[in-house]
Amino acid sequence: MIEAHFPLRQVLNENGEIVSRPPVLSREEQVRLYRSMLRIRLIDERMMMLQRQGRVGFYGACTGQEAAVVGSAAAFRPEDWIFPGLREGGAALMRGFPLLDYVSQVLGNRIDPTKGRQMPCHYSAPAANYVSWSSCIATQLPHAVGAALAMKKRKTAAIAIAYFGDGATSEGDFNVAMNFAGVYKAPVLFFCQNNQWAISVPMDHQTAAETFAVKAVAYGLKSLRVDGNDVLAVFRETQAAVDEVRGGGGPILIEAVTYRMGAHSSSDDPSRYRDESVTEQWKARDPLIRYRRYLRGLGLWNDELERLATHEMQEELAATIQSAEAAGEPSVQTLFEDVYSRKPWHLVVQEREG
Amino acid sequence: MAFEFKLPDIGEGVVEGEIVSWLVKEGDAVHEDQPLVEVMTDKATVEIPSPREGVIVRRVGSEGEIVRVGATLVVIDEKGDRSTKAASGAVSDAAIAGKAGSPGGAQKSARAQQKDTARSRSHADGSTRQPATPAMRRLAREMGVNLDSVAATGPGGRVTREDIEAAVRAAPGRSAGAVTAQTEERIPLRGLRKRIAERMVRSKRSAPHYTYVEEVDVTSLVELKEKAQEQPDSKEKITYLPFIIKAVVRGLESHPLLNATLDETTQEVVLKKYYNIGVAVATEEGLMVPVVKAADRLSLRDLAANIQRLADDARAGKSRLEDLQGSTFTITSLGALGGILATPIINYPEVAILGVHKIRLRPEYVSGSIEPRHIMYLSLSLDHRVVDGVIGAQFTADVKRLLEAPEQLLDQ
Repeated sequence: MIEAHFPLRQVLNENGEIVSRPPVLSREEQVRLYRSMLRIRLIDERMMMLQRQGRVGFYGACTGQEAAVVGSAAAFRPEDWIFPGLREGGAALMRGFPLLDYVSQVLGNRIDPTKGRQMPCHYSAPAANYVSWSSCIATQLPHAVGAALAMKKRKTAAIAIAYFGDGATSEGDFNVAMNFAGVYKAPVLFFCQNNQWAISVPMDHQTAAETFAVKAVAYGLKSLRVDGNDVLAVFRETQAAVDEVRGGGGPILIEAVTYRMGAHSSSDDPSRYRDESVTEQWKARDPLIRYRRYLRGLGLWNDELERLATHEMQEELAATIQSAEAAGEPSVQTLFEDVYSRKPWHLVVQEREG
Repeated sequence: MAFEFKLPDIGEGVVEGEIVSWLVKEGDAVHEDQPLVEVMTDKATVEIPSPREGVIVRRVGSEGEIVRVGATLVVIDEKGDRSTKAASGAVSDAAIAGKAGSPGGAQKSARAQQKDTARSRSHADGSTRQPATPAMRRLAREMGVNLDSVAATGPGGRVTREDIEAAVRAAPGRSAGAVTAQTEERIPLRGLRKRIAERMVRSKRSAPHYTYVEEVDVTSLVELKEKAQEQPDSKEKITYLPFIIKAVVRGLESHPLLNATLDETTQEVVLKKYYNIGVAVATEEGLMVPVVKAADRLSLRDLAANIQRLADDARAGKSRLEDLQGSTFTITSLGALGGILATPIINYPEVAILGVHKIRLRPEYVSGSIEPRHIMYLSLSLDHRVVDGVIGAQFTADVKRLLEAPEQLLDQ
């Protein structure tokens, strides 16, 4: 019943046919959306492979959620700040985070901007206005609200975007952030990637509500649901929401309904806790397949372009991995840097022993 | 080159996996990323893809067997290499060691191993040291193991807990338990040591001590002492001590309660009308306190000469009995070692002792600006039965005033 108030907004149905007004995008922009999704898909496949070969310690893929990530990230301006949850590494790449830095972070090598200290796959890209991931769930939401309030006080045109998953909505931080943002009209967009699974906890164990979008109502926020596997719908709805937030209309919550097609991470085996025949149904709704069908219909994509793009991206990735693996580990000395402005004695002693 | 592919940690902190099924046979040609084997860990069942292209020359372990993380799974003969016999022999040893040994012993990915050779542990002083975490360094210290003598098997050539334990077991005549037992030596408490012990105990038991600390700006005194040293006719080595004794004697003249003893039998305070200043001297045998007699009647030079003779005699073991008796107040100083402050123990049955500390150059706020000044601390311990805090403080203030304007101390 509540679901009726939050209809799932779509531009393309599962066959790639238009069911509502598409966003205004040039041919290049439309192709760029696809290439961005393809790139993430290929990087994820490769990184999972490296993990199984012992070349990477840990990885979490975004497979199945590419449209939610790419469609939303494409709607932000460079001056906006992104507070990622998990699985939005692709958004950093779209904002200019170098692939070498991305791969190096996963390896934890000498080039890694986080110097091998962060968990693999937890990127930090300040130059791209992209805050570090945190394994702790929902901590980024109050941060995003605070940053948004600062932007408002400084009267900048920028807004903050907070990504999070369905699991984060059970955290206190989510509710604190929503309430605060609502009361103070912070220019923040809450973007929930509802991929149905918080590691092994399904949505119906996460909430008794029918949607996550409805939670915004209690805090006085606008909210909506969008098909997270429909890149055009995600882009159109995010763009409209971003415009409204930027214009002073107050915070908005978007629930992108999608599905985690793979494991939670390289340490996880979903076949132990979920019915993988459901996963097969979702694979039929693969966001890449759907959008590819649409582009083919417009004559913007074909098998040859797919083959060329795949080859080119895989080559770039292979060369980047080679450079990253050759870079070596961060020096031991880096262990003693950055935390204290003046090194305390016990670290000086340990450094000498090192 | 034969490439040994070892079971990686495919979860977070996984230590072993069960071989579910082999997807390749020995002799098979494999390409990079081709699935080799299905392995089940306590977290997940996963296909392990090949990191290299080549021919499988050896598979280690059969289906249903447990393989430890870091143990060899397969040996891949990369293109152009025919020398696989020797390699496969070596591998089975490695695999057995990996299985039988500790997890730490086998946990070394191919990548980590390649890096071991690259990582030389040269230090600025030219020495090389075993890499080890602070926790393992501490363990080695506690176990009495020299880290550099331990064979390291950890990732990156680091010393692991197992390595240290193995080194302890291997040490001849030492069990793990015995190592932690400290060896001891017994020295009889005799002679001067015994006297010091008795007197310290008596002092601490009978006199409730308190220590009052003050800082003194001795910049002028430092200049004065340097000038005094430059005088061509000076035979004696001029130190700060004669000046301090002078200042102390003046202070005692104003505050006679500090130049006194407490007669416990008659319950009387005995004020001394003479000023014999004990000077603590460190000797090889232990602490001695020769006494500068009638210090109030000696010039700075006489004081210096007296101190020097008394100290030399004490260090040479030639002190006469009368040199060590009759003090009414004692000064203790560690000279250059000096420290910041101390809580001196009163030379019983006196009622006060003054500790003199190191002179340090410090930035000080002096009449509107920051200046480099020579600062010294004084620690005065007092017997509270006789001297209350206010008197100790007044005495110290007097001594401070004199030392800060030391021309007052010069001989008239």
